[in-house]
Amino acid sequence: MARTPRLTFDRGTLILHPPPRGKGWMDYAMWDDRIEKFRIPALQYRCLVEALVAENSDFIDEARAFYPLELVTSLEMQPYPHQTEALEAWKLAGRRGVVVLPTAAGKTYLAQMAIEATQCTTLIVVPTLDLMHQWYAHLLAAFPDTEVGLLGGGSRDKTPILVATYDSAAIHAETLGNQYAFLIFDECHHLPTDFHRIIAEYAIAPYRLGLSATPERQDGKHADLNVLIGPEVYRKKAQELAGKALAEHEVVQIKVKLSPHERQKYNQLIQIRNDFLQQSKISLGSIQGWQKFVQISARSQAGRRAMLSHQKAKEIALGTEGKLRVLADLLAKHYPEHILIFTADNATVYRISQEFLIPAITHQTPIKERHQILTKFCQGEYKTLIASHVLNEGVDVPAASVAIILSGTASTREYIQRLGRILRKNKDTKAKAILYEVVAEDTTEENTSARRRGTKTNEIKKEVGNLQVVYSSFKQKSYRAAEKLEFNYTTENKLCD
Amino acid sequence: MLPTDLLSYRQNGEEIIPKRLKIDEENLQLANKLINCFQQAVGKTQGTLERQLLELEGDTPDYRVKRGLAYILKNSFCKFEVVSPVEPQKLREKVFALAAKSVPSRKLTAATLDRVARELSQELEREILSVQVREGLYADLAENKVLTAFDAPTPAQLLHRYNLSQVQGVFYQASQLVLNAHRNVPGEYKLLFRYLKFFQLMAYIEGDADHGFTITIDGPTSLFYPSTRYGLAIAKLIPALLHVTKWSLHATLQVRDFYTQTRKIGRFTLNSDCGLVSHYPPGKPYDSMLEASFADKWTSLNTPWVLEREVDLIPIPGSVMIPDFRLVHPDGRSFLLEIIGYWRPEYLQKKFAQVRRAQCQNLILAISERLNLDKAGVKIHDVPAKIVWFKDKLLPKSVLEVTD
Repeated sequence: MARTPRLTFDRGTLILHPPPRGKGWMDYAMWDDRIEKFRIPALQYRCLVEALVAENSDFIDEARAFYPLELVTSLEMQPYPHQTEALEAWKLAGRRGVVVLPTAAGKTYLAQMAIEATQCTTLIVVPTLDLMHQWYAHLLAAFPDTEVGLLGGGSRDKTPILVATYDSAAIHAETLGNQYAFLIFDECHHLPTDFHRIIAEYAIAPYRLGLSATPERQDGKHADLNVLIGPEVYRKKAQELAGKALAEHEVVQIKVKLSPHERQKYNQLIQIRNDFLQQSKISLGSIQGWQKFVQISARSQAGRRAMLSHQKAKEIALGTEGKLRVLADLLAKHYPEHILIFTADNATVYRISQEFLIPAITHQTPIKERHQILTKFCQGEYKTLIASHVLNEGVDVPAASVAIILSGTASTREYIQRLGRILRKNKDTKAKAILYEVVAEDTTEENTSARRRGTKTNEIKKEVGNLQVVYSSFKQKSYRAAEKLEFNYTTENKLCD
Repeated sequence: MLPTDLLSYRQNGEEIIPKRLKIDEENLQLANKLINCFQQAVGKTQGTLERQLLELEGDTPDYRVKRGLAYILKNSFCKFEVVSPVEPQKLREKVFALAAKSVPSRKLTAATLDRVARELSQELEREILSVQVREGLYADLAENKVLTAFDAPTPAQLLHRYNLSQVQGVFYQASQLVLNAHRNVPGEYKLLFRYLKFFQLMAYIEGDADHGFTITIDGPTSLFYPSTRYGLAIAKLIPALLHVTKWSLHATLQVRDFYTQTRKIGRFTLNSDCGLVSHYPPGKPYDSMLEASFADKWTSLNTPWVLEREVDLIPIPGSVMIPDFRLVHPDGRSFLLEIIGYWRPEYLQKKFAQVRRAQCQNLILAISERLNLDKAGVKIHDVPAKIVWFKDKLLPKSVLEVTD
């Protein structure tokens, strides 16, 4: 008598042996000469099992190591209509798909509802250690009778509900692959990279949920989410939810001029760079031109000098002394409100932390200390917090009513998510939240700032609705609000009006 | 190994030529300069070391070579530690809590640091200056950690390691490696396959001991599409491969085109004459004293049978068996010999299962009489091999008896 086919899991793939009768399964399988058996991509588990069942094929499933859980939540809230709708849409799509909701629209609670509705071992993948701890704290509160664990940031738990970083989940993709029936990808635009996508590819999980405020990627790879997670099943914009979960806020841009000395130095350095570029016939307008510059700078001494000048000039433009004075002014103006400060680079974070004695969070901050700083900030013991990129995405920092961006790297997503930080509903104060963007004038950085907002440099744009944007004009000086906020720090007295 | 941004290579058509430093006076001096820089930085912070390295880099265009050498020194020969009288995290907590009580300003900063310094001086009963508080605030940052130990390599060792790292870097983009292991005695395959298994790679083996083997190396999902997922593991395998005696390889690379951002296929070849130096310890010539003494006795024996060590690979689906010895007669007959001394029951079960699956016609198993095969659940009668039993030592004579 023929042996019953067995389906087993092997490092991100499935092995089906001996081959079953019927033909449906053959659409997914490939003969592997190395082991002399049929192999199937783990991602195809659900289709394969459905095909085998449809043909009444007898087989033993030894691949799945996931199992059902009895989940009783002790954290029940009245869901927003968009949360209920999103959950329904996801269930209708066969419990596979992506839900697009703006930051602070309650994605964590939506995920909790989905976990509760699915009742099986669940892996949640998040991009940052901060988000990891936020999910961890929430899930502990939501499912106190179930073991919740962490993978990444020094932890290596193996629990029925596990929160992992994208990096750690990718490193352990081969072993995690058959342990979870339900995968949740927070900020799922992180998934379609060469390194991270295998978390989805090496997993047999039949149920998948992707969450993001901005699933679109500049490289167009968001289309892969259809295969890796499932189709987009629900989408709502911040405007559509205005007044429901989000607070109103305005954006104020402050321009800082370089001091005459800095200006002189900056011009000198840019001159060195431009002379070289002209000689070498390179235009920095395109990516190709920039790549050519990088290549040449590794070959000739003049090129290297030009590159170093470029870097120094950029440093002057980014971390000017002037910005620190503006910062001092804003800190004084808004004390004792909760203020978040963002900068692009760690060096500036630590410089400001040491000069103003403000607690700092960067990717170098130990997990426990990070947690402690955030707790103290929420409780009000710390009034201000400075961070580099780590707080970019959806971390709960409740009741921060002022955010200051000192410099940043260009990315539409980053900007939206940074905005999200102060979009949180503030129950105590009725005041509008303010986001300050402090940029140096007339340097390369101005382009970055415009790109970050997704607008062109010479555009004056005023958005109505809950995103009240008061932009300063870049070329024309007619806009009053902008003029009022534009100042030269060398006449410092003007700062406090 | 080096991070991608420190890899340098030239492209000649489809061929990739990784950067290689000649072991000449000029490069040895450069290596020596860097080693000295590290030696002088012992007891100083990583930040100081980085600044000195930056100075050494200057504005010369070969800064990536210097950075590469420094990277290797930093990651393979250095030990950095947090050195601080007060635990920085506790210090921060204290300072920030105090500072948060008033409006942040530079004036307040000075006052707060002074106050904390005074309090700490009392607490610790020794003088702590405010500048020490300021510096101690972030003593646990990487750049503020102190280089406590430096296990200096020789300049030549450093250059060899750099050259190997550059070659290893090419394999980060590899989706598959095809290795031709040419006929040679001894083959030294065991170490290679031990690492192969350790790095979770898979192999497909074709060929025979007289002509050599073609071994295709990749990973489980490589079956469906070429994946660079296994590139890092393949790169780590290279130092082990350098211990194999005679081989050549070609790797398929998934190269991202610089300008179009599309993928294209690249090729890379390497062979045992590449002159690269492995830093992995070599495998032991013999697994046990038993094998060593057996090989010793064979040399003093007067027989036409020639004893070869580790030359054959017997592919088993999903694995490989590498017999200890091969006996070759000038008339063309050959036998494989596997010596089974003392082992744990699980190992014996696996070993005998392998032998059964190998379906090898000319296998001789030399088994110690001390082994309790029944207890290990091994039934000797259904093993397709000639069996030689031995007591304390295996004599060549008793092996020769079963060859006739």
